[in-house]
Amino acid sequence: MTQPIGGLPPVAQPQLYLDGVSRSFDGFKAINNLSLVIEHGELRAVIGPNGAGKTTMMDIITGKTRPDTGQVLWEQTVDLTRLDEAATARLGIGRKFQKPTVFESHTVQDNLTLALKADRSPWATLFRRGSAPERSRIDELLALTRLGDHRFRLAGALSHGQKQWLEIGMLLAQEPRLLLVDEPAAGMTDAETMLTADLLKSIAGERSVIVVEHDMEFVRALGCKVTVLHQGAVLAEGRLDAVSAMPDVIEVYLGR
Amino acid sequence: MTSLLRALALLLALGCAGAAAAQDFAGLIAALPGGSYADRAKVVKDLGLTGDPRALVVLRALEADDLKVLADGTPVIVNDKTGAAVAAVDGSDRGTPAADSLDRVKVNNAVRRALRSAIGMLTLRDPDPARRLAAARDALKAADPDQIEALDAALAAETDAGVAATLAEARAAAVLKSPDAAGPDQLAAIATLAARGDDAARAALTPVAASAKPDLAKAAQAALARIDEAQRFWGLAQNLWYGLSLGSVLMLAAVGLAITFGVMGVINMAHGELVMLGAYTTFVVQQVIRAEAPGLFGWSLVIAAPLAFVVAGAVGVVIERGIVRHLYGRPLETLLATWGVSLMLQQAVRSAFGPDNRDVGNPGWMSGAFHLGQMQITWNRLWILVFAFAVFAVLLMVLKRTPIGLQMRAVTQNRAMAANMGIRTGRVDALTFGLGSGIAGLAGVALSQIDNVSPNLGQNYIVDSFMVVVFGGAGNIWGTMAGAFTLGIANKFLEPFAGAVLGKILILVGIILFIQKRPRGLFAVKGRAVEA
Amino acid sequence: MIDRRMGIFLAGLFVLAVVVPVGNLALAGQPVPTYLVALIGKYLCYALLAVALDLVWGYCGILSLGHGAFFALGGYAMGMYLMREIGDRGVYANPSVPDFMVFIGWKELPWYWWGFDHFALAAAMVVIAPGLLAFVFGWFAFRSRVTGVYLSIITQAMTYALMLAFFRNDMGFGGNNGLTDFKDILGFDLAQPATKVGLMVLSALALAGGLVLARWVTGSRLGKVLVCVRDAESRTRFLGYRVEHYKLFIFTLSAMMAGVAGALYVPQVGIINPSEFSPANSIEIVIWVALGGRGTLVGAALGAIVVAAAKTVLTGALPEAWLYALGALFILVTLVLPTGVVGALEDTLSRLRGTPPRKEAKA
Ligand SMILES: Nc1ncnc2c1ncn2[C@@H]1O[C@H](COP(=O)(O)OP(=O)(O)O)[C@@H](O)[C@H]1O
Ligand SMILES: [Mg+2]
Repeated sequence: MTQPIGGLPPVAQPQLYLDGVSRSFDGFKAINNLSLVIEHGELRAVIGPNGAGKTTMMDIITGKTRPDTGQVLWEQTVDLTRLDEAATARLGIGRKFQKPTVFESHTVQDNLTLALKADRSPWATLFRRGSAPERSRIDELLALTRLGDHRFRLAGALSHGQKQWLEIGMLLAQEPRLLLVDEPAAGMTDAETMLTADLLKSIAGERSVIVVEHDMEFVRALGCKVTVLHQGAVLAEGRLDAVSAMPDVIEVYLGR
Repeated sequence: MTSLLRALALLLALGCAGAAAAQDFAGLIAALPGGSYADRAKVVKDLGLTGDPRALVVLRALEADDLKVLADGTPVIVNDKTGAAVAAVDGSDRGTPAADSLDRVKVNNAVRRALRSAIGMLTLRDPDPARRLAAARDALKAADPDQIEALDAALAAETDAGVAATLAEARAAAVLKSPDAAGPDQLAAIATLAARGDDAARAALTPVAASAKPDLAKAAQAALARIDEAQRFWGLAQNLWYGLSLGSVLMLAAVGLAITFGVMGVINMAHGELVMLGAYTTFVVQQVIRAEAPGLFGWSLVIAAPLAFVVAGAVGVVIERGIVRHLYGRPLETLLATWGVSLMLQQAVRSAFGPDNRDVGNPGWMSGAFHLGQMQITWNRLWILVFAFAVFAVLLMVLKRTPIGLQMRAVTQNRAMAANMGIRTGRVDALTFGLGSGIAGLAGVALSQIDNVSPNLGQNYIVDSFMVVVFGGAGNIWGTMAGAFTLGIANKFLEPFAGAVLGKILILVGIILFIQKRPRGLFAVKGRAVEA
Repeated sequence: MIDRRMGIFLAGLFVLAVVVPVGNLALAGQPVPTYLVALIGKYLCYALLAVALDLVWGYCGILSLGHGAFFALGGYAMGMYLMREIGDRGVYANPSVPDFMVFIGWKELPWYWWGFDHFALAAAMVVIAPGLLAFVFGWFAFRSRVTGVYLSIITQAMTYALMLAFFRNDMGFGGNNGLTDFKDILGFDLAQPATKVGLMVLSALALAGGLVLARWVTGSRLGKVLVCVRDAESRTRFLGYRVEHYKLFIFTLSAMMAGVAGALYVPQVGIINPSEFSPANSIEIVIWVALGGRGTLVGAALGAIVVAAAKTVLTGALPEAWLYALGALFILVTLVLPTGVVGALEDTLSRLRGTPPRKEAKA
């Protein structure tokens, strides 16, 4: 679990590999020559001021936004820049959004059911019926997200924090191999925030996780390697205390 | 002064025929009733060549079957209402002879042809230049070598440059037909006709291209090739003009729609009906003017335009405040509700003005046409093009230079951010909708000049205006302009190959395919707020 | 699978399918006049069309302003069969081509009319023609993520283009006048009351079948994905669903259903012409669904019947008032009844029972 501090050790078989990625919107460089390597099973926190390009980075990894230049490789072979959102999801890249988005006119249970890993073609979906293993998996997820009492409520009726949890549950239901989690702690109580941190820590190892977060307490609780993004590029990388001692980082966060 | 000069010139021209002609005239008139049809045709022709204005009266009478012969053989012109007769030769009174004492001077088709041509020759001396031009065109078509002298005379007397050119061309055509014209003369004639370059010139040149004289034939062939080219060019230019004209109409109809769609994300299905209201405003203004102050008719459109803007704009503001405002963020519902409004407006107008087309007149400066080369341009279309650009320019100024325009653009790009910065988006929405609707009213004034003013007027433009907006991209009026003119020109260039209906279908299919490639049109507004 | 409101509706439909035939054919004094039978049959076709639109709009958020085109295509396919059935009984007594072709000087049947004298082929074309159009159109539109009002507008352009095309005489579909003067269907005389009753019962069956099919689809997991697409299209993609495939599936299915409705409609009204393609017609379908309640299926069917009946009554009694009424309906429903009558009723009922109302469906 613990990552080496300091410079990148050569990673033999990275799960995700971004190299020299740039993307501009009307001349504004939202991502500027960004490089990033995520190992199998790694937990990584990405921090950075607002507008640093964190969400845009996730957009690029998931195929929502195409980079202007640069390489994005999945398992060293698959070029993610050619795929769309559905295709990256099918590869096993799951995403939780900054603004929680759940399907509001479906029940909590349906939200989870629809997220379960399964054949996504219309034909298969048309004929699929619930099965016993499916039900027990949903029970598990409901217990994990502590939404058991809300099983048959419409997701639209949940509180903000509950929606965050539901979305985390949906993310887990997909059984992704890489989780992209954008600001999960927003709208949660302190206790819930810590629970989320624990949950993500327990997931890592089996799956890789990239977490974007502003909350320093949360990042500290994750206790993982941290990447600092600034103006679309990596400003620093390493352990949180090491990174937060760097003058550059201090200036970006506190200066001006 | 000029008329005096003209009269002098006329006299001079007549002078070349001289006193002999005066005698001739009486003789010819006397000879008119006798002989065979062929003789009569010959006499008619000679009368035409005298260039004598009195001959015109006689020939017109013959054409109208008013030329009769008294029992003593005197040709007279009988007024077919009163029955009064005057001598054909000098107009002296011959009383009111009994109908059965008169003989008709009969004509057959050959005589009739000769008559038309002769009257044409005589009309070459008409004081009205438009008539002279028409007569010169007829002469060009006739291409009769016998007319050369008369054409020369008319040419010498002609003061209008346009008529003179046509006369010269008519003469050239006649020279080409003449068996005893000199070679250089004919070559010059070919050059003259080639410069004219239209169908009439082609008709005159085509036989010469097969002429036995090789140099003439070659020159004529070259001239025909040049004419082909010229005609292709002018055909293209004419098509382009039709396309520009259609584009200007589409732009007028669509630009208001584009503003509301761009700023508010709202499709106003009643836009076409607001256009229709503008057209009916014009109708009402003209009715009032006709009844109260007919002298102002020339100003009717100038008066109607601001009124139409206000009427349609006010209705637009009412729609926005009453309906659209409550549906903010639900664009599909807005579309349906405004469709409801459009149905009600249609029926209201139908109840008030009846279901039939109402007659909206063209003021003098809006009617008629002029020629540019071989292209015909109608004044109403030209003024509408000018008007469309004027509206566009004013709109551009409003959007670029005024505070409300700045606010509109801010709301277009990021509504939430604009609201946070203290812009009252509600007010901006109402004004935007009013402005878009007002422009629809202006479009209605323009359309009343070229289209039927009926309750269905708006429906005829709604799909087209949508296509313009979708194609050009919402939120940028330059896009609307580009879209309107592209579609207008494409439409008119497809028409000759595909026919009007198929051409339109092809355009629609083209747009449906285009929007696949660029789902937000040619000039899309970019940004995250738009994509959300 | 069949919930209560659909149960009630189907029962009502069954009663109608029994009472009308008996009242028209069996009872003395004919309490149900024959014109009414044809009228009811027509409304039932509209209802099926509304259910088809509800599938795409209510459940998938695709506001099609061109569904009239699918209805009309189904109608034309049936009309072509009915034309061929006329045989040499036309005015020109020409056995090889229909009257309108004689009129425009065509001596031979164009290739796309071949085989339409066989009912089976015509019946297949009733679903294939609209289905194919929907598939091709949808394939282009959905793949490039054209959504919202843009999609609505190009569906409108689609039906408008078809209208212009069918108005052309040399399309070979009768131009302006369309196809008409039908004599019989499968040997049954269309003028006979018994045939009319049979067609009306068939329409009721088709509506019932359409409702059950739609219910089954929307109740399936695929139906739930459709609602996801409607409410949060982008999110659905990130779950790995290919949104465009789902849209294409439901759009094509819906078009086929509309085609069946059109095919049943044509023999009952006795004519099909290009005005069926007019954009205004297609928008009228939308108000049926909106009034009844989108995403409720039964509501859509009821809305169609009520609005169509109101149209018959009003255009007869007060022709001036009809467009005002229809226009007002559009405005009122969107402003005060966004979930339609059925939606509003259910919300009220559930509020009375103390359960939370269902969330308002988003456009
Ligand atoms: N689709 C887009 N169109 C225009 N600008 C965009 C788009 N996506 C991102 N941006 C811009 O890129 C920058 C980075 O945004 P983002 O990745 O959301 O930052 P973060 O998540 O780090 O706060 C912002 O300035 C944002 O406005
Ligand atoms: Mg972000």
